[in-house]
Amino acid sequence: MAGMKQHDILIIGAGLAGLRAAFEGVTAGLNTAVVSKIHPLRSHSCAAQGGVNAAINPKDDWHHHAYDTVKGADFVGDQDSIDMMCAEAPQAVLDLDAMGCPFSREDDGTIAQRAFGGQNFPRTAYAADRTGHAMLHTLWEQAIKYGVHVYDEYFLMKITNAETPDGLRASGAVVMDIRTGELHQLGARAVCVATGGYGRMFASNTNAMTNTGDGIAHAMRAGAPAADLEFVQFHPTGLKSSGILISEGVRGEGAYLIGADGQRFMQKYAPNKLELASRDVVSRSMMTEINNGNGKDGGVFLDVRHLGKELILERLPQIRQLAIDFEGVDPIDQPIPVRPTCHYTMGGIRTDKLGHSIALKGLFAAGEAACVSVHGANRLGANSLLETIVFGKITGKDMVDFVKNREGHAPVKPTDALAEVSGHIAQLKARPEKGGVRQSEIRSTLTAEMQENCSVFRDEKRLKSALNAVEDAKEKLSRMYVDDKTDAFNTDVITAIELQNLVLMAEGTVRNALERKESRGAHAREDFPNRDDENWMTHITTHWDAKKGEITLGRDAVRTTGNPQYAPVERKY
Amino acid sequence: MPPKSQQKTTTLRVLRGAVTGGKLVQRTQDFEVPYDATTTVLHALEWVKGEVDGSLTFRRSCRASICGSCAMVVNGRSRLACKTKIADLLEGNASKNIASAEETVGEANVVEIAPQRNQPVLKDLVVDIKPFYEKVKAIVPYVQEGPEKEEHVTKDSFSQVIMVSNCIMCGACYSDCTAMVENPDFIGPAALAKAYRFVSDPREGNKTERLKELSEKNGVWDCTRCGMCIDACPKGVAPMEAIVKLRSLAIEAGITDNKGARHAMVFKDDIATWGVLNEPFMMLKTLGVAGSIGQLGNALNLAKKGKIPNPFPFEHKVEGLNEVKAIYEELKKNPLDVRTKAADSGPGAG
Repeated sequence: MAGMKQHDILIIGAGLAGLRAAFEGVTAGLNTAVVSKIHPLRSHSCAAQGGVNAAINPKDDWHHHAYDTVKGADFVGDQDSIDMMCAEAPQAVLDLDAMGCPFSREDDGTIAQRAFGGQNFPRTAYAADRTGHAMLHTLWEQAIKYGVHVYDEYFLMKITNAETPDGLRASGAVVMDIRTGELHQLGARAVCVATGGYGRMFASNTNAMTNTGDGIAHAMRAGAPAADLEFVQFHPTGLKSSGILISEGVRGEGAYLIGADGQRFMQKYAPNKLELASRDVVSRSMMTEINNGNGKDGGVFLDVRHLGKELILERLPQIRQLAIDFEGVDPIDQPIPVRPTCHYTMGGIRTDKLGHSIALKGLFAAGEAACVSVHGANRLGANSLLETIVFGKITGKDMVDFVKNREGHAPVKPTDALAEVSGHIAQLKARPEKGGVRQSEIRSTLTAEMQENCSVFRDEKRLKSALNAVEDAKEKLSRMYVDDKTDAFNTDVITAIELQNLVLMAEGTVRNALERKESRGAHAREDFPNRDDENWMTHITTHWDAKKGEITLGRDAVRTTGNPQYAPVERKY
Repeated sequence: MPPKSQQKTTTLRVLRGAVTGGKLVQRTQDFEVPYDATTTVLHALEWVKGEVDGSLTFRRSCRASICGSCAMVVNGRSRLACKTKIADLLEGNASKNIASAEETVGEANVVEIAPQRNQPVLKDLVVDIKPFYEKVKAIVPYVQEGPEKEEHVTKDSFSQVIMVSNCIMCGACYSDCTAMVENPDFIGPAALAKAYRFVSDPREGNKTERLKELSEKNGVWDCTRCGMCIDACPKGVAPMEAIVKLRSLAIEAGITDNKGARHAMVFKDDIATWGVLNEPFMMLKTLGVAGSIGQLGNALNLAKKGKIPNPFPFEHKVEGLNEVKAIYEELKKNPLDVRTKAADSGPGAG
């Protein structure tokens, strides 16, 4: 085991939010390090296809973008964060452009923008159909340029905290060098969690296998509550057999959704916006069609044939390739089988509008791992890339300010968690196969149950069944064994620990979903089909009570600005 | 997947490895895996890890061919495990999108999996990616301020950039690079494609300086133009095409004081003038007198084995030289477009 290394700013996660925050730290002259369990360029930000929203066009107005976002969020998003995100959006995109991101262009050289769901203006900037990939490579290039210290292939084992005269604060992390299995204690004055979401708890999802909510789970254990965990976005168009994402940008280009009868059906559910209604609305419409017998093998179809070969080849080349590679269908000739698929988790570590945890000093969060709540109950397409670059920047700046000006007292004594963490790993490796449970069994049972009972449509009976599945998984975790007992590159141990994190996130998701007795955004309770603004215009917070070893729930008010335009109305598209 | 009784199975033959006492020890291990029409190599590996042996070690993340984690050698070629289907491999269709590829004909109903080549193995299918990334870092992988920066960007400005910025840094090209086998210090196809991404970006300020550095030892002139990187690339980047474009741009910029550029120019002059190469003179012009003397031993060996058709430097012209000259005239009129539009990056392009 190695000794303590000290950084000013320690960021967990090297996707867009993490790298954008690191840019602020390193260019402010602070010792900035990023920990990532996979090489930064492997981060799931790279899979974002469609684009990034920003009111760049002089005919557009960020206030409209903000209104679309407040409405898309079903009025439970925090209005101060949303205003800030939308106002800062054009500059955040131009920052990336100046760093060298190759955004697609209009004829006059300005950044090209396309239409996305739930919005009144085509304000989605893009780089062909691989926008996240282009942005991620650009920010990685900047990390190299400015010398961010990257702990590449290091796995987060624990976020440490320490008592100070000002109360409990985050003090760093224990990480495992995956290559050797060696544990390192990293000290930091500010810690930022940017580890993405927890979508892997559902059997069908668009997420990378690494999206297991590690950072959120560890932050909760360290004393930073999460919020909005019940709000899980089901993207209307995952490939039917694998869940691999087909971008909303395809519908932005004019694609139709059709049932097994070959007819479009969205006019029944969203007569104005049709296929480009908000994602929760489109997903529920599709599931209703499927449940009413107008689906085929559990899916419906995304049809681009009428767009013509030329447009498909020019604007949607990657999409076409994905359909061919993973569904065996060439969209030029055949409609693509799709179904609603877990895509994005709105919940995360509850923060103030600058990304600082509401409870644990020195702990910050940005991107999908955060609940700064710009998405509320439902995220608009192309607002997630935006969140990463705006709040990566804002949170990065706030961490710089925290370290330079507001830090307060140092911890009373240095944190030492190495022994605890290495004991945890040793215990896992020592568990016998006899009487034990394979991790794959726990994972497949839990994710199937979450898909069945905690996805697009929910009710109390189904959610209780999901909760039983979570309790069952928790019991089995105590008997989970691993085959690989070695130290170097032990992915058996890593996936086992990821599963421990995922089970905690699943419990939070189900408990929050049971608690929220209304339907709002992506949370659709068939036993409470209406939105209830009187009782539920609030965030549900999720706390890990370390002493009792259990989850408790709380409330945190929606931050409003008093803007009368943001008063809740019925959402129609 | 269909019920077990109806399921087809195949043998996954995995080259496993572990480093003990600083030494890599490898062995193959067979796993019987179920598959259907949609099963990918990654699905099969995940099935083995989940159900049979959790110690089987490989990298993976997005499973949608965009993160670049799971490149490995499958039936002798570098591929992404996540987009390679078992059924295609067994039916010989896995290269259906790769025109010039040839399958390794192995044992029937066996899929052979091995770690990437040209990189040290850490464990099973995991290789050390540090050397690969050090080379990417060596090309200064970010847009630089400088005198050649263009302020105005047009709709077509990024057409060249787009082609190479498809790269997901999976290392498949690096793994299949034949020049790398001979010269491990060769910077390699992925890093050079990345370099082209900056040279072709109108906002880049130091294009000529970059071309100078790329023309040095281990740079663009070390590529043997075998084309393996084009076949290996799962994203259609065609790194060799980018390398050829970098060479053209370097010569256009007058960066010719190096072996590679001299060699290319002599090559072109010989063919245009005589229709054949004059190897001894070519060597003299490429390496100079001192350098050529150093190659004498090689030359004698080659001559002894009949590998040098005409050991005496008496030039002769080929029949149909006019046709050769016509080709050069045509090329002069329609030069390789290295600036405006991205060429089709299909097999053999460039």
